[in-house]
Amino acid sequence: MDLLPQLLLAGIVIGSIYALAALGFVLIYKSSRVINFAHGQIIATGAFIAFALTQRGLNFWLAGLIAMLATFLLGMLIERVFLRRMVGEPIIAVIMVTIGLSSVIDGLIHLTPYGAGSFSFQTPAVLSGQGIEVFGTPLSRTQIAGVLAALGLLGAFTYFFNKSTLGITMRAVADDQMAAMSVGTSVERVFALAWAAAGLTAAAAGVILGLMSGLTLGGLAGIGLKVFPVVILGGLDSVIGAIVGGMLIGILENLSAGYLDAIVPGGGTREVFPFIVLIAVLLIRPYGLFGTKEIERV
Amino acid sequence: MKKALALSALVSLSLAAAQKTVTLAWSGAITGPTSDAGASYAAGVEDYCKYANAQNMLPGVRLNCVVRDDQYNNANTQRNFEDFVGNLNTPIFLSYSTGSNLQLKGVIEETKVPTLPASYHIGLIDAPNNSYMFLPVSSYSENIVALLEYVAKKDRGAKVALVVNPSPFGRDPVVDARKAADRLGLKIVDVQEVGGNNLDNAAMLRRFESQGVKYVINQNTAGPVANILKDAKRLGLLGKMQFMGAHYTGGEDLTKLAGDAAENFIWATSYYMYDEGDRPGIQLVKKIGAQYGRKADTIRSVHYTSGMLAAAIAVEAMKRAKTDISAAGLYKGLTSMNGSRAFNPGFTVGPVTFSTKDHVGAESLRLLQADKTGNFKAITGGQRSQMFQLVHPLR
Repeated sequence: MDLLPQLLLAGIVIGSIYALAALGFVLIYKSSRVINFAHGQIIATGAFIAFALTQRGLNFWLAGLIAMLATFLLGMLIERVFLRRMVGEPIIAVIMVTIGLSSVIDGLIHLTPYGAGSFSFQTPAVLSGQGIEVFGTPLSRTQIAGVLAALGLLGAFTYFFNKSTLGITMRAVADDQMAAMSVGTSVERVFALAWAAAGLTAAAAGVILGLMSGLTLGGLAGIGLKVFPVVILGGLDSVIGAIVGGMLIGILENLSAGYLDAIVPGGGTREVFPFIVLIAVLLIRPYGLFGTKEIERV
Repeated sequence: MKKALALSALVSLSLAAAQKTVTLAWSGAITGPTSDAGASYAAGVEDYCKYANAQNMLPGVRLNCVVRDDQYNNANTQRNFEDFVGNLNTPIFLSYSTGSNLQLKGVIEETKVPTLPASYHIGLIDAPNNSYMFLPVSSYSENIVALLEYVAKKDRGAKVALVVNPSPFGRDPVVDARKAADRLGLKIVDVQEVGGNNLDNAAMLRRFESQGVKYVINQNTAGPVANILKDAKRLGLLGKMQFMGAHYTGGEDLTKLAGDAAENFIWATSYYMYDEGDRPGIQLVKKIGAQYGRKADTIRSVHYTSGMLAAAIAVEAMKRAKTDISAAGLYKGLTSMNGSRAFNPGFTVGPVTFSTKDHVGAESLRLLQADKTGNFKAITGGQRSQMFQLVHPLR
């Protein structure tokens, strides 16, 4: 079996998870122009809430839904308590708040029994059977479910931003907060909703990642940083960009692992490759493939 | 009555004054990367230290048990070391990661404080600055070479791939493994670095398959290895390739994460397993774990036993130092652990032996294999790698 189709397929699987994780960045940036460096910690929070619930005997699917609801509320709370006060402050101050927030959430998770250690979900029966083979590449049911869930959520948010009144309102706020306020739009409500929605998608990404590769705080929180090249490549304010960026980075990672690791001593090029792409994109097209082109000359 | 009370108070005060407080301190990753191993290790150190106090193992000495998180951050470890040695006057340092120990080697040499790391990196006891570093058990390099010897016995000429952590911890055994493979008639056809965020290993495994690799030897932590095993199972490679690994790859952590994909994984370690309840050391682990209310997962973890071993060696060195519980006294205590005076707390397959020239404690190791139930069962007796001493002579 030729290696290329297998690498492409594996890239799509990983890429769809990256896209879902990247969506949280996009949702917040799209409405409030804030880059949330605590997103990885929110992903971990969602995953560990679901895991804790399953440990107490709750059905996996129900636990996942409750975790999504919990991080939805957490996102709203974070916006209300920390970010709302930062409106109008310099962007570097807002970034520092999210970096501080990442440390606080990290510390709080460490106070739970899940801060240290490796854990894994008990795979639900429906996902533990024989997988399928696509172009000669075996895919597990977990992987298929992960891709479907990620694509479903990404599709729903694309629709939401393009077709729903609230989605269009959020885009309007992102475009011009003053103009949106002058026509009676509650900017605060939009910000809160963006953080809440980002929390919801973070939990979904965390649960899928936990199911596929186990739960460790470092691993889950690290995804927040790992998907940064995805959002830069796709465009910080584009849902479609998150999807395309996720897929591209996932595929490029796998291609580099498949073809470059064999010639680079020690391999491991997949860890570096996304960041090489990140630098290249920043040099050539800093607003990404689908991001809003903003030119400021000073 | 008043006189009796006053006398009793005076006696109590005199006894308290006569009791010396000595700090037994550990710095390691309770949080951050590798905390999955570090948290259990810390619990083992702390519990054994408390147990030593409760059992009055050191008459006239009360141990001040300090377990401090360094988040796997070398700067934090250095700060902790300075505080332990400079302010708390600890006569022995129980340390953790490869990176921090390598960084501190020179300082440890200067301060002459005996150090027992949780890292079994052979470079720590290689010259220079190696007088005060003591590995509690056999090194990662010896683990890997022993696994290569096992492969050579079964399948001379076989193609082997090494998968290592992208860190000094992971990379170090590669040189010794290459030398040993040459002598053993094995071919190391690929060396790949895989870190903690490896979500997909299909590309690497398919390449191994196309290269004809039959044995994959891991020098990593359990998380990345579990993901490799799950991918190998999905790709139908588990029967075609034998997966193996050094100390930190295996045990309960691996089977918990990899599930049935861990079946048949071969693991090299010097420690006894939790389900070997007939071993005195494991009985002690269970007793102390229960006494201090640890969770079942913690007690079952081999890292809990490892932490206990490090603390037990330190306490034994203090015992041997008698009235001179100083760094110099403990150095003498440690280096007296040989011959008929070897220390055998029962946690490892052989006794702990140190001398001024021998800085590896429990040198014996076993190979164990994961069964269907997720438990590791010994497939060899206690042994030393013959080849390792040839490819990496010490002193």
